[in-house]
Amino acid sequence: MRKSGPWLTLATLLLLIWSILPIYWMVRMAFLTPAEITQFPPPIFPTRFNIASFFNVLGFDHTLADGTMVRASGQANQVLRGLVNSVIVAVIVTVITLVIVVPLAYVFARLEFRFKNLLLNAVLLAVALPPVSTLIPFYAMFVQLKLAGTLTGLVLVDLTLTVPFVAWMLIGYFRNLPPVERLARIDGYSRFGTLFFLIVPMAKSGVAVAAVIAFLFAWNEFTFALILVNGTTANTLPTAISGFLFQNPQPSNLAACIVLTILPPGLVAYFLQRHVAEMSLVDPVR
Amino acid sequence: MASEPGLVRPAAPLDRQARTRRTRELSDGHFALLIGLPVIAFLIAVVGYPLIYSIWMSLHKIVFFGGYRATFAGLDNYASVLHDEQFWWSTWVTIRFTIESVLLTMVLGLLIALLLNRRLMLGGLIRTLIFLPWCVSLYGAGLMFAYLARSQTGLGTAILGLLGIDATTDFLSGSSIIEVLAIGNAWTMAPLVAMFILANLKTIPTRLYDLAAIDRLSAFETFRYVTLPPIRFSLFVFTSITTVLSMKLFDFIFVLSGGGPGTASATLTYQVYKRSFKELNLGLGSAMSFYLLFLIIGSTLLLFLLWGRKEKPL
Amino acid sequence: MKRREFGLMTSALALATALPFRSAAAAEDFKASSGQPIYFRGWQFATDVVQSNVKRYNDTQAGKVDYATVTGDYPAIMEQNLMAGSELDVLYANPSSAVRYYGGGWVMPAEELPNIEEIKADFLPQFLDAWSYDGKLLGLSYFASCRGCIHTNLLAYEKAGFSDKDFPKNWDELYEQVYALHDKGIETPILPHWFGEYFGISWGFVFEVLNRGNQIADPRTHKPLLTTEASGAAYKTLAAWKKLWNSKLVPEEVMTYSEAAYIDAYASGRYVFSPQQIYDLQVFNKVGRSQIAGHSTILPVGDHPWGIIDSALYLMTKRDRPDAVTQDVKKFTSWYGYKDDTGKVAIAERWVQENMLFSAYKSVMDDEKTAERVRKAVARPDDYKTVLDVYKATPFPAGIWKVVWSEEFNAYLKDTLANFLTQDGDIVATITAMNDKITELNEKYGI
Repeated sequence: MRKSGPWLTLATLLLLIWSILPIYWMVRMAFLTPAEITQFPPPIFPTRFNIASFFNVLGFDHTLADGTMVRASGQANQVLRGLVNSVIVAVIVTVITLVIVVPLAYVFARLEFRFKNLLLNAVLLAVALPPVSTLIPFYAMFVQLKLAGTLTGLVLVDLTLTVPFVAWMLIGYFRNLPPVERLARIDGYSRFGTLFFLIVPMAKSGVAVAAVIAFLFAWNEFTFALILVNGTTANTLPTAISGFLFQNPQPSNLAACIVLTILPPGLVAYFLQRHVAEMSLVDPVR
Repeated sequence: MASEPGLVRPAAPLDRQARTRRTRELSDGHFALLIGLPVIAFLIAVVGYPLIYSIWMSLHKIVFFGGYRATFAGLDNYASVLHDEQFWWSTWVTIRFTIESVLLTMVLGLLIALLLNRRLMLGGLIRTLIFLPWCVSLYGAGLMFAYLARSQTGLGTAILGLLGIDATTDFLSGSSIIEVLAIGNAWTMAPLVAMFILANLKTIPTRLYDLAAIDRLSAFETFRYVTLPPIRFSLFVFTSITTVLSMKLFDFIFVLSGGGPGTASATLTYQVYKRSFKELNLGLGSAMSFYLLFLIIGSTLLLFLLWGRKEKPL
Repeated sequence: MKRREFGLMTSALALATALPFRSAAAAEDFKASSGQPIYFRGWQFATDVVQSNVKRYNDTQAGKVDYATVTGDYPAIMEQNLMAGSELDVLYANPSSAVRYYGGGWVMPAEELPNIEEIKADFLPQFLDAWSYDGKLLGLSYFASCRGCIHTNLLAYEKAGFSDKDFPKNWDELYEQVYALHDKGIETPILPHWFGEYFGISWGFVFEVLNRGNQIADPRTHKPLLTTEASGAAYKTLAAWKKLWNSKLVPEEVMTYSEAAYIDAYASGRYVFSPQQIYDLQVFNKVGRSQIAGHSTILPVGDHPWGIIDSALYLMTKRDRPDAVTQDVKKFTSWYGYKDDTGKVAIAERWVQENMLFSAYKSVMDDEKTAERVRKAVARPDDYKTVLDVYKATPFPAGIWKVVWSEEFNAYLKDTLANFLTQDGDIVATITAMNDKITELNEKYGI
């Protein structure tokens, strides 16, 4: 590739700062003491690393070096419950999304059949639908079906977000794979065999990216959770955390929780970037 | 190193004989039906039902207090939305926010992609860090930008303080709140765009760049004639995607500004939430949400007519 | 001390009236018996304290109380849950919401508790009045406090050359002093009550108008009472706000603050005056929590009281559930909201000790331990008396809060006031619109 110079280094540095700065600003708050948080002008770096908040939000008291004890946060049990619920929901949504979307996207991408465009447009319409407009209908429907305040309900709602979006993404991706169907048939593969033994392995990078996107959608979903599971045993991490925003200010606990929510997706980001190189073998959006 | 996908040959199935004997294949249509129908049915049930319910609500006047009552109101709700100053203000806010968000996202996404396409030291680490913003939830990002941009707790004030200047930087004001929101929105979306553009860039054979160098093309010309053509279609697709995502964005705004100061950042999503959920004016809220849906579909159609039609997938 | 005498007298009275019920109360059994869970929901405030209280009930009374917090637009979310008949048995509510929930037929009044007469006898009269609707007490006391008393940063105040004797005695003097302080080099003399919560800017307007001596609506008929004359309280309030906004002394971002951000902003010591919750005095004076610890006080009652009653109740819902569960709900509410199995108003007393949340019960407020707690929270010994005086004088906006449309009007007020400031609204037109809104709401609900 072409030579790298000082400009490239500078550009990289600027982009890194751009990407990291907002996260840093929040992470640093997790380490600030309550007194430092009210300082004006605000400190750019924490002076001593106060790690009490990380213990507190997970339900542990923490004794500082000077002997003062910082009590566990009362929100801790909801944060823990939220953490478990969020993992459950995100994993189930990811799995179901893939099971549904991979064959669906394949069919739309590679086969011709009647009403295809009509159905494709229906999927796109579902992408365009803003969550705020289906919030009340979902709530009303779920109350009737006794699904309000349940993980099942949340999984259903999350699927309505992930399925259309991921389908849209994967259709373009599948369209670009080499035409192997005819060969497959000669080799004696059934329709399903072609899909699972040929197409999916070929498209594994795209499928991996799709899985990540579905996981992140479910992990980060806030609007529906706020209305459907807020204050119930099916509370997810985002709504549990938003409790820190109100009434009793504990910004460092809030920050510590946000850091917690970034850790799993952070691993995901690492995973994701490795797949980008492989995805490049085919054009994903067509 | 991943193998060339076209060459992937899975191990021969054990029951090959059995398979070859099966002569009757499902037709395209039947196979599509088999796969697609359950999914479509699911989508119709869980997307279609709320949508129809919404339409029904938008045609009724609904009262909960003192016993639930719904009376048919025809198009009254749609008419009163059009007479609502707040609605027009929110439409304008939404459009301004969306245009700023999309422009910023696309430019940033392209820049990131071009940068990551170079060979970098610590490439894996740098890519991870640059993709990280997309992994941050929108409510998390909302909190981050709230603390970052606020004069009381923000970076601007902190730096001024460090320099010994006793002043504040008030970005969360009526005049600049939408820009703060757009920057934050672009911050979360740009890595996704970059990732896909990067994937396209990787398909450009390096020898094209060598040829460009032999032809003494300038950097701009190289970009225009070598780099740009294979990514144009992706640029269009992602302009559409980011337009849709920006227009339906809610949680980020809810957490960052709550539509404020005043109604300075009350986008249509926020307005719908306020009408339907806080004021429980379900009819009006639903009617308004359909105008929002028309706006979303209308803008993507417009994008297609003005731009997408001319772009051909490679 | 007058207050003490009053307290003694009322307690004696309470004792006398309570005697016939004493036997009933002693025999009262708080033990849960249905075996079903009870759903207890509240907003997020010192949840660790609530949790340990609930745990104590569950441990000692075989209870199955499920406690969780609800975030976001609390009144709206709860109304939605009540309407839907969700799993919800006991909840926090401000009195204005309580009236609406009661009007909607979703909650049962505290009158249904077996020992209600004893409880009512222990109530401070202003709260018994504020929390009763249709002659029925709606819930038991969570806290009873004052929002909008003027917290004052003595560090900055004294540095600018002012002292106690210069304390403003009314809102007009307060604003005059804001500009005087600015002339003395203080960039941001006031942090007004303009934050973005449902109890932010709208309540800020309500208490200023009430303090200046006007009602917003008639306490009984709920007819609008705001006047557009330049001498009227609403006019003067809006005029003062407009001047303050145009002077650029207040950062616009205050309108986007959550309560947490609002408290932290004042605790940073940038501001001299700020209308805040009275109980947050202990936050502002806590070393390691605030930059002005030991130097924050509140303005004493001057020509008029400061702030309004900010209080909350424990409400019992009327959702569809077996009678045995309803009995458990009553037992838990009574145990939690008043006297526990040991005969002490333990939860309310604990709130006083932990967060200086005052109670509506005389027995708690007259307790020496409460006095001790307040003395510990104040910057200067004399402030103790100031706190109690301000607390005692706090008014209640019955005209707009003891009516079913209170939350709707509140939401309207919040937007209207924010737009008035940001869009340089016309004072008279804004007041007229407020009155019209009240009339419209009265018509809507047939009041």
